[in-house]
Amino acid sequence: MEVLLGITGKDFTIVAASKAAMRGATILKASDDKTRALNSTSLMAFSGEAGDTVQFAEYIQANIQLYSMRNSMELSPTATANFVRGELARALRSRRPYTVNLILGGYDKIADKPTLYWIDYLASLAPVPYAAHGYAQYYCLSILDKHHHPDIDFEQGMKLLRMCTQELKRRLPIDFKGVVVKVITKDGIREQEYEDDVKVAIP
Amino acid sequence: MDSLVSQYSRPVHSAEGPSQDEHQELSQTTPPLSLQFSLPPVAQSSAWLRAMTDDYSNPNCPIKIAHGTTTLAFRFKGGIIVATDSRATAGNWIASQTVKKVIEINNCLLGTMAGGAADCQYWLAYLGMQCRLHELRHKRRISVAAASKILANLVYSYKGMGLSMGTMCAGVTPQEGPALYYIDSDGTRLAGNLFCVGSGQTFAYGVLDAEYSYDLDDEAALELGRRSILAATHRDAYSGGFINLYHVKEDGWVKHGFNDTNPIFWKTKLEKGEFSNVTADLE
Amino acid sequence: MGSPFSINGGACVAMVGKDCVAIACDLRLGMQALTVSNNFPKIFNYGDVYLGLTGLATDVATVSDLFRYKVNMYRLREERNISPQTMANLVSSSLYERRFGPYFVSPVIAGINQTTGKPFICGFDSIGCIDFAKDFIVSGTASDQLFGTCEGLWEPDLGPEDLFETVSQALLNAVDRDALSGWGAHVYIIEKDKVTKRLLKGRQD
Repeated sequence: MEVLLGITGKDFTIVAASKAAMRGATILKASDDKTRALNSTSLMAFSGEAGDTVQFAEYIQANIQLYSMRNSMELSPTATANFVRGELARALRSRRPYTVNLILGGYDKIADKPTLYWIDYLASLAPVPYAAHGYAQYYCLSILDKHHHPDIDFEQGMKLLRMCTQELKRRLPIDFKGVVVKVITKDGIREQEYEDDVKVAIP
Repeated sequence: MDSLVSQYSRPVHSAEGPSQDEHQELSQTTPPLSLQFSLPPVAQSSAWLRAMTDDYSNPNCPIKIAHGTTTLAFRFKGGIIVATDSRATAGNWIASQTVKKVIEINNCLLGTMAGGAADCQYWLAYLGMQCRLHELRHKRRISVAAASKILANLVYSYKGMGLSMGTMCAGVTPQEGPALYYIDSDGTRLAGNLFCVGSGQTFAYGVLDAEYSYDLDDEAALELGRRSILAATHRDAYSGGFINLYHVKEDGWVKHGFNDTNPIFWKTKLEKGEFSNVTADLE
Repeated sequence: MGSPFSINGGACVAMVGKDCVAIACDLRLGMQALTVSNNFPKIFNYGDVYLGLTGLATDVATVSDLFRYKVNMYRLREERNISPQTMANLVSSSLYERRFGPYFVSPVIAGINQTTGKPFICGFDSIGCIDFAKDFIVSGTASDQLFGTCEGLWEPDLGPEDLFETVSQALLNAVDRDALSGWGAHVYIIEKDKVTKRLLKGRQD
């Protein structure tokens, strides 16, 4: 019941990940951050097999940072996405593959456009205007199909995210303890305050 | 001699009216369960049926049952909206795009169809028959609560034998007003304001929950029902075809068309700017 | 989970015409019943050759990247474009290299040989058996349906415009009977010195 969401707008990408760290029937932690910043314009959110997720994310994070140091320039979000996909695909045919689903939010400074990539544990890569993983896909994609627009501003983006998290709170049988929200713009990555105390009722 | 006399001295009309057998048959609401359906000659008929029909665990299963659906119904101040898609799939094969998944039980009662197509069609037709018999016996229309309970008890009596159906009963009666029930083959029966059933249910819930309110006017409610099915047909591979739309009002249901999703989709995209993920031009 | 060939869905078809060839694919990327993206083309260009790849999406990406590398190396070494026939043999041997752990893809090749001027199409199974055909090649989750529509619509010596109409109708009508493919299509009409790429608006359900 992990939730990953990504929404692009006019000049930003919002990435949200649920705060609950679950093992079996227990919530071990209610303030987990399932995201890693790769460089100043790329952020990766991850869910999947315990252990694999953070190991893979930090392996990618280290290699992207190594690239930045060696070349004195940062890899673009598109190049980053293809690198991540390549590593996941290589691992897929190894003795022990990573079972990790990813959402890569970024801002392409050259094209001056926000980017969002959807990658699943089989290393299928798709560029999308909005994305979700896990059960969130089944509830939120239809909402985003209806209400998303490529040129929405940040406030409208957050309103969309609110619609999605409210629907998940309403219909998911397990509490995911709210979401961590990160925003990627041309100025970099920041964490966004996200109040989550509104009660939702099932009609 | 006495016996011969008694044989001919019964009142003339005593043989009229239903016999005891006939009387029992009329007052029975469920068919005798000592099976008019023939069963396979194996110990566990349900397990055998599953092995033969479950194309999810066994893609080469010999019998493929039509599956996959989105259906929804919700109560609002103007009555009840009932909407469905019209696709039937057998595995990945689209067997039909023109299935009627709303079953008109009588002019005040509707049933929806999800799961096994044959199961739903047969038992909802059977429910229609029972409702009519109830009407004739009691000289008034059956309540939605009673009708849904007949169906729930019926499917429950076959529990574990492989029936597969998720259905909603929507109707209006003078005593209960607009009423909506969800019934499935596990035996669940729930009254409620809003249900979506089928493989595309979550997509429909997403759109429906976001804008649902009991105080919707008729036009907005119909549009919301239509739009929720459209959302599900777009994202769910096993839903599609046509949108079948009904409005249940105090004096019976009204049909609002059986319309192809394709023109509705492009109209929604181009006029309202929704579905921005669908490319309309090269690169 | 079902077969790796039908997790993501997708369909591809190639056809021969008079001095032209056509290749077309759908645009769906799914995860079983869920449609994830409506913009996932499965045809890749390598100079004079067009390669259509259906099957597992991760292998579509891996294999298309692999051939981009191999074809670029070929072009640098030979200082010329790879011909469709040579490409067919390259694809075949590259797939057979993975005989015991195959890529779950069914490739289709279409192109015009620039030295002979002759159209060429062929298809493969996932471990590299080449299927040379003079009429059409189909692949993907809608391949059964595509065989039907192609057998019904294709005829010899179609001109570029008629070939476009034929391949488009064959693809659209086939994917409309398959739950896992569709959601729009790309069509390439390849002539000796002209390539036309068109987007087809398909049903979005």
